[in-house]
Amino acid sequence: MTRWLRTLAFVAAALPLFHPGAAGAQTPEPLKVIRIGVATGGVGSDPIRHGGTTTALAYTDGAFEDEFRKDGVEIKWVFFKGAGPAVNEALVNKQLDFAWQGDLPAIVHRANGVKTKIIAGSGVRTGLYLAVRPDSGIQTLADLKGKRVALFKGTNLHLAASAALAAHGLKERDLKLINLDLAGGRTALVNKDVDAIFDYVGAFDLRDKGLAKIVWSAAADNYKFTRQTHLLVTEDFAARHPQAVQRIVTTLVKVAHRYSNEANRADLFARWGKTEYPEKIWREDFIGQPLRVRLSPLLDPFLVSRYKEAAKDAHALKLTRSVPEIDSWFDRRYLNAALKELKLETYWPVYGPDGQLAN
Amino acid sequence: MSREKSTWVVPPALRGWVLPLLILVVWWWAVASGWSTSPLLVSPAAVWERAVQQVTSGELWTALSASLWRNARGFALGASLGLAFGVLLGWSRWADRLVGPSFHTLKQISLFAWIPILSMWFGLGDGAKVAFIAMAAFFPMVLNTFEGLRSVPREYIEVGRVYGFGLWQQLTRVIAPSAAPSVFTGVQLALIYSWLATLGGEYLMASGKGIGNTLIDGREHFWMDLVLFGVVVIGLVGYALNALTSALERRLLAWRDRTVGRY
Amino acid sequence: MSSSLGVTTSLPPPLPAAPAQRAQGPRWHPPLQWLWAWPFPLAVLLLWHLSSAMGWTPEQVLPPPAQVFRTFADMVASGEIWSNLTISLARVFTGFGIGLLAGLVLGTAMGLSPTVRGYCYPLFKAFAQVPVIGWLPLLMLLVGIDEALKFLLIAKATLVPVTLNTCQGIQGVPNRFIEVAKVYGFTRWQMLTRVVFPAATAPIWNGVRYGLTHAWLALVVVELLASSEGIGFLIVYGRQLFQLDVVLAAVLAVGIVGFAIDKLLSLTEVWLLRWRKPGF
Repeated sequence: MTRWLRTLAFVAAALPLFHPGAAGAQTPEPLKVIRIGVATGGVGSDPIRHGGTTTALAYTDGAFEDEFRKDGVEIKWVFFKGAGPAVNEALVNKQLDFAWQGDLPAIVHRANGVKTKIIAGSGVRTGLYLAVRPDSGIQTLADLKGKRVALFKGTNLHLAASAALAAHGLKERDLKLINLDLAGGRTALVNKDVDAIFDYVGAFDLRDKGLAKIVWSAAADNYKFTRQTHLLVTEDFAARHPQAVQRIVTTLVKVAHRYSNEANRADLFARWGKTEYPEKIWREDFIGQPLRVRLSPLLDPFLVSRYKEAAKDAHALKLTRSVPEIDSWFDRRYLNAALKELKLETYWPVYGPDGQLAN
Repeated sequence: MSREKSTWVVPPALRGWVLPLLILVVWWWAVASGWSTSPLLVSPAAVWERAVQQVTSGELWTALSASLWRNARGFALGASLGLAFGVLLGWSRWADRLVGPSFHTLKQISLFAWIPILSMWFGLGDGAKVAFIAMAAFFPMVLNTFEGLRSVPREYIEVGRVYGFGLWQQLTRVIAPSAAPSVFTGVQLALIYSWLATLGGEYLMASGKGIGNTLIDGREHFWMDLVLFGVVVIGLVGYALNALTSALERRLLAWRDRTVGRY
Repeated sequence: MSSSLGVTTSLPPPLPAAPAQRAQGPRWHPPLQWLWAWPFPLAVLLLWHLSSAMGWTPEQVLPPPAQVFRTFADMVASGEIWSNLTISLARVFTGFGIGLLAGLVLGTAMGLSPTVRGYCYPLFKAFAQVPVIGWLPLLMLLVGIDEALKFLLIAKATLVPVTLNTCQGIQGVPNRFIEVAKVYGFTRWQMLTRVVFPAATAPIWNGVRYGLTHAWLALVVVELLASSEGIGFLIVYGRQLFQLDVVLAAVLAVGIVGFAIDKLLSLTEVWLLRWRKPGF
């Protein structure tokens, strides 16, 4: 009997060591690989093509690879078909150093105690659209009551959609929300398995093929229903390699600067046009919006207030169990240093919490 | 469902081909005559072309080898652990009393329900998938090994004692052969379940390459020909696995035929 | 006998029977024996609790057991678990019923008539090589993600083992039984109901058991992939919002259902085979 007890005690003591998520020793070691997670599956393979944000541009241009080539550091991009929630799983298991992720899944992981820092904005005021079949009678969000709607849960689409629905008097229980990723949702819409889908620019693609019509747009309704995405770094990595973080942020700012220039507008959309969607679709999403606004990396009061509201909304909609503290989540040191170094402090407009220019 | 076809028209050996050929003809005719405009109705020729493309471009090989390798790793891990654990449960009454009920309870949880948990515990990469495949192989292996060990009749052990067998001889000459059929059934089941888990794991933990991912890609892009091709490949793999285990069974358990056949 | 028909046919009962014939060791009274099942799970529970209390594992990866049970209790109280479970169970039993009926009919036809078997069996065997999971994307393309998908998939999962085992069971009825029945002048119907089916009950029942396990398996997969309600949906919901305690609570519910189904099957088996007297 004592033999069993001893074995049990040994196993119990050794168990923490076997946990798959247990990180190795934390001693600083020379940097060999930077792992960047991207909360979308992209399209194609070898290489995966992805567009729509400054991070995507950095990927396509190989900007980070160029920056770190002389140090022999490899940049490993990981694309997640499961989007934000799948990135969270990798973050919890310490398998990523940086991540491009949306507001809701990031808030979810922050509420769960995962330690990250937001270091730059990458894709602000991103749109959200409601697409239905061409012959559908649905015209407003309120018409969705009792209908089957495809929504990618856990992503920033989820929060924006839920907030929009709530503003129009609908709770999640008032309709049937089916969790499908964007590709699956579009298929379901075409197949008549769902009556509507909350989508991004892929909705334009369907519309142009005559398979859907767009009846609601977040940007047209209220800026509060637009979605934000950002680049974050794990606190772990930042503590070990702060210079690498700085170089990443500086490179990202350079990329953002190049493409925020209206003269490069054609080039920008041409590049994005080779990724998930054709050029004219990306263009359409940017109509009336200066590149400097959408591609801004700033962590201005607008962004901060959006994240604070998102955290509160998420809690109110029962998507998270607590409201994480937001102010200390942003680490502006790298961004400010980059802006100073590149002399771009006043290049991008600063917006206040109400969405209007701050000055 | 019996059909009135005189035996001299279709000899028994060829009867199996009648229905598949009929289906193929109807299918081909449906596409050629434009009977259905659905983009989902692809001709057999299109499936064949896709097959050729997949094989020559090497895509099939990449996907299939990734899946099979994952399957092999998970199966080896799960089956060996299962064998060890099954022997433990079967051999030691104490182990059975203490751990048995918990094991039987865990076994009730439908296999795929574990995926989200494993995904959260292992995160990215093959680890989660291999762990899942190992789990799928583990349970049937334990159960059948346990049953095999437990059903060794006491008389055999006693005869072994009469012959003065030591522990090792008891194990190799009495217990192992007696338990072998059950253990082998366990291996067969473990193989079936691990292949099932390989495919299901690829659907639900979508990163990486594999034949399951090929199927999902086809579905997402509405490429019916790719999906059909994938189904055929999976069927062939299933058949190969079955044939493999049958052949192994014939060789390893050949001596069984000489004794009274079991039910 | 089993090899030529393929692996899926020769299946032992999914749960091992009580230890056969071996003389019992030291005699224990049944109640005490039942007690010994508890120390191990309790130890694991303790380990789990310590692990999250001491922070050996990150909280996101292993929520404290108290939280999981609390979540489970909350979900039961709010009716969430129950409503989702009933939806899932309804799907399983409908699909299982369809598959069972079709399987019994097809299996009997193939078992009884060599002609039918000659035409249908090879195609069916080929069909059976692709596991139910392999059919999922194809079915999703053909019928979408609505209830039809679930019923079809669950029916297919049930159909294969039931058909194969029924066919094999009927074929395996010893010839002398049929001869005796003929001597007694049984009509075809009497032969079927009094000789063939009772003799084939055991393998048919094996197929039914295997079919139900696979049906439940197929349901969980399809709900994980595309659903707006059901127990699989609950699991996905927890996963997307990184609430592992919700996932564990839902998995607990899945386990309870699995356990209940198994018990139900055991009881039915005892009733079905009540006429059978053990030979030894």
